[in-house]
Amino acid sequence: MAVNYDPALIGRVFETTDPVPVTAEMIAKFTEAIGETNPLHTDPEAARRGPYGSLTAPPSFAVTFRNGQHFFQHVPRFGKQGFDAGKDVEFVAPIHPGDSITLSSHVKEIYEKTGRTGSMVFVIVRSTLKNQNGEVVAHVDHRFMNRT
Amino acid sequence: MSTILDLHSHSEASEDSRAPLEAYLNWLKLRRAERPVDGIVLTEHRQFNGSADYRALEDRFGIMVLKASEVETDYGHVLVFGVTDEMTRRFDFANVRLPAQEVIDEVARMGGIAVPCHPGRPNVGLCEHYTRKPALENVIAVEVLNGGSRKGEDERSEELVRTHGYGAIGGSDSHLVSLIGLCATRFDADIRTIDDLVRELKTGAYEPVDFRPRRKPVHHAVAVEVK
Amino acid sequence: MAEIKTVKSYEDVQIGEALGPEEMYLSKDQVRSYARATGMWVPRFTDDEGARKEGLPGMITPGNMSLAVLSKLVTDWVGTSGARMIRLGTTYRQPVLPDHTITLHGFVTHKNDDDRTAEMDVWIESDENERLVIGTATVQFPK
Repeated sequence: MAVNYDPALIGRVFETTDPVPVTAEMIAKFTEAIGETNPLHTDPEAARRGPYGSLTAPPSFAVTFRNGQHFFQHVPRFGKQGFDAGKDVEFVAPIHPGDSITLSSHVKEIYEKTGRTGSMVFVIVRSTLKNQNGEVVAHVDHRFMNRT
Repeated sequence: MSTILDLHSHSEASEDSRAPLEAYLNWLKLRRAERPVDGIVLTEHRQFNGSADYRALEDRFGIMVLKASEVETDYGHVLVFGVTDEMTRRFDFANVRLPAQEVIDEVARMGGIAVPCHPGRPNVGLCEHYTRKPALENVIAVEVLNGGSRKGEDERSEELVRTHGYGAIGGSDSHLVSLIGLCATRFDADIRTIDDLVRELKTGAYEPVDFRPRRKPVHHAVAVEVK
Repeated sequence: MAEIKTVKSYEDVQIGEALGPEEMYLSKDQVRSYARATGMWVPRFTDDEGARKEGLPGMITPGNMSLAVLSKLVTDWVGTSGARMIRLGTTYRQPVLPDHTITLHGFVTHKNDDDRTAEMDVWIESDENERLVIGTATVQFPK
């Protein structure tokens, strides 16, 4: 393996954020911005009759939670600035207004390849979202691409 | 008796693809009329699975599945057809900086053929490397038609072929099920095995074929109202 | 506008079935609205001049927003069937520039009878038919 890093990094949680409270207003602004009109996410009355019994955020709301201030200090760097090459999200449970969300992150995988923009090292960081009951809400795998 | 093969595809064995082989074959069966492909070649990134046996799937779907590899060199990416154990011992396929000239010559010596792919792509294509380094020797063919190419890239590849007289192949470079077979190569000869393929790439007649649909112009849609 | 299908069972889902295609005009205002809503009010997502200073061609759409529109393509297709999108993976290949029409595409590519899930390819195409963001999604149907 040409890429050098400490194997003990993999799997070790390096950050857990403080809980972020979710409000109905945040969800409303989000649904409006993406043009979401599904009543399950926009109409509390209709949502009450839906599968979750109350208003839920659209699944993609899960990727809007930000990592901590020092997140990137813990993400291994290889060469120049990292770019977000994409995200893989597992949607486990819905998010409701009134929930409080924390993110716990760890490095999941590191690998090297070459592409259009040159030599690259990919660092995959998994951020696990949990709500106030300790239930996993989602796993967000960030694929950071470093140009070497 | 001609054969049409998609010479460049990635299944879930490649880290950036989630496409199961079975789904690829099923898709080709569904889309047979628009993509009349007789077979595909799996060219997984930086690896080769010598023991994988796809005969059951081939029989079930009536589509040939051959195995090859896409490796990374100091002149860009290269498809290696006719991979043998000897080759995988000689070269570490996981190395992203293999020496291209050695790959071309040794693979040929060991009975295979190495074909530079997407030569028009920045950094990982031949064209750019040829602007600052001597041209590789003994290149027989390059991939002129690649389903993942952006504007201008395949045109650059065509220019390369005209300048150097290389043979030209096509492949989808698919990483998504629905993109399999959109670009391929039509061979004059009948191809049934990897040995047939290697022989025809070296000495036979072939040309890239493009099954991508012609696009309708995109209309200006209505903007989402925001406050 | 994508049609919201209300009756879709696992058995009804056809391999090869299309999601969309859906054309949407992604305006700069909409991108700014998203940036504001998600606490990402930074030059690259809000201001052409500021984005150019960072070496970008102009303001760009946040990757998360691309993910959100593709997510909506899938959830619209799911409709009120009781099925649930359980996974969405995306790769950002080229920047999505606002004030352009983008087209959202998708196809159901395979089904897993063991766990009653369906897989689909989804992607965003520019007005020049280039694939800007590509991805795959998994939808879980009720048992």
